[in-house]
Amino acid sequence: MAEITLYHWEPNANSGKPMLALMEKGVPFTSHYIDMLQFDQHKPEYLAINRQGTIPAMTHGDRVLVESTAIMEYLDEAFAGPALMPAGARDRWRIRWWMKFMDQWLAPSFSMFGWKFFVGPNAIAAHGKDALEAAIGRIPLPERQVAWRKAVYGLFGEEEMAESARRIDVGIRMLEAELGKREWLASDQYSLADINGFNLAYAMPLSQPHLANDDLTPNIMRWLRAIYRRPATRECWKLGRTPMAARVDILEQDYIGQGAGA
Amino acid sequence: MSGDMILYHGEPNGPSLAVLAVLAETGLDIECRWMDLAGGERHRLSGIGEPLARDMGVEGEGPVLVIDGEAMTESVFIAQFLDESGNGALQPQDAYGHWQMLMWCRRITERCAPAAAFLGCRAHAHAGLAAMEDAAFADLRGAIVSEDLASRWSAVRSGDFPEAQVADSKAKVAAAVGLVEEQLEDGRAWLMGPLTIADFETYCWLAGMVELVPDAFAGKARAAGWMARMRARPSVRGALARARRADPEHAWAPGPEINRWG
Ligand SMILES: N[C@@H](CCC(=O)N[C@@H](CS)C(=O)NCC(=O)O)C(=O)O
Repeated sequence: MAEITLYHWEPNANSGKPMLALMEKGVPFTSHYIDMLQFDQHKPEYLAINRQGTIPAMTHGDRVLVESTAIMEYLDEAFAGPALMPAGARDRWRIRWWMKFMDQWLAPSFSMFGWKFFVGPNAIAAHGKDALEAAIGRIPLPERQVAWRKAVYGLFGEEEMAESARRIDVGIRMLEAELGKREWLASDQYSLADINGFNLAYAMPLSQPHLANDDLTPNIMRWLRAIYRRPATRECWKLGRTPMAARVDILEQDYIGQGAGA
Repeated sequence: MSGDMILYHGEPNGPSLAVLAVLAETGLDIECRWMDLAGGERHRLSGIGEPLARDMGVEGEGPVLVIDGEAMTESVFIAQFLDESGNGALQPQDAYGHWQMLMWCRRITERCAPAAAFLGCRAHAHAGLAAMEDAAFADLRGAIVSEDLASRWSAVRSGDFPEAQVADSKAKVAAAVGLVEEQLEDGRAWLMGPLTIADFETYCWLAGMVELVPDAFAGKARAAGWMARMRARPSVRGALARARRADPEHAWAPGPEINRWG
């Protein structure tokens, strides 16, 4: 059978989605860690795999697949193992709807904060601004160049940060309400929507303790802990190498009040 | 299929056209009701107990399928739902072909659709909204739950169409037509080989662009042939026959936002 190689960074956001899906399906794969802060994703060896220079990417035999959510759907359809999409068409619709909402509306807002406060400062500390400018010049996708420039030179506008903060607030309320309807996000069975959502939300009790905690969002907390207890999740987060992935440890706590962990 | 279903659609253009045509292809018997998208009627539909997807959908003013009071949105996902409720003929069965179709649809919904909606609203929705009394517009806008969608309505009314975005949108439409032209290079009749949801999703956004971005189509003989084949399909003709105006390709209302990050 054809081999799978996954090119990923930390178990987090887009990289974490196919990582966790592979673990849940029990599909063996070669893990190829791409250190995003070292610009591994723009090196010729990686550009030969994905010329857009973004992660994650997956090879299955001689096929190259990109786009984290679409990769998860491929994995679920191509491999036996527990089904990560339910059989009912309406549940499948709801899962797709939530994944698109998270991928396109909510996650970019979280990402803006991550890039402003984590990626930018860490990259500057590691390389210095001058070396970074040269590295940014080599980025293939214009929109990724813009992202890096904003992060490195602190060019985020007040308005766009305020809009992202608003969306995070709205999105957390939506998740809390939705998780009050069913055990899992968007359907009665553990699915790709949960994997997607966990990668987006696992660190929320730490990074947004005023919005996500046991008092305000008990459904979100129950759901995050339930996913964190899964053996696949444990295995997956072991592949993390930075303090970013270690943020998941907060889910060990049984009770998290407002302002905890901050 | 079980449950009470009603498909609310706008004039057969953009996402409403895609879903109406796909419904006709599936042969499913679902009641269709016209709504005045440009008049904001979508936000005042009755009988919706679960309005979340209608209120917060990324697609903006598209069709809404209501089943047992739950609003379902996003034209690609409604199309998948219809296909999966019918005989599943409009999606590739193999995982890789399916991934390719999903990637194609994402490319269209993330890049082409926001551009087409922007240009379509600029040409055809601005004047009508600008002519509205302040109180009537405030009423319309007041019914919209999503703040960012509401602000796109305000931008269309006030004529806020920055030249840089006009140019960028035209380039994105041209890029989509270019993709179609390239995809058909091997002589295939439809985008994925067999006819799929990708054909409908792509055609619906491009149909109204022929007049607005003529350069994008110039010299693209294969794309023009494909457009003609799409237009000739009984499903598309049937959808167009539901139009209440002579020029449905001029019917636009605010669509998806242009990517704000990465
Ligand atoms: N929509 C894509 C996004 C891929 C993407 O842009 N990934 C980011 C990291 S989450 C990246 O590769 N950044 C590298 C860079 O900007 O240099 C997906 O979900 O896979």
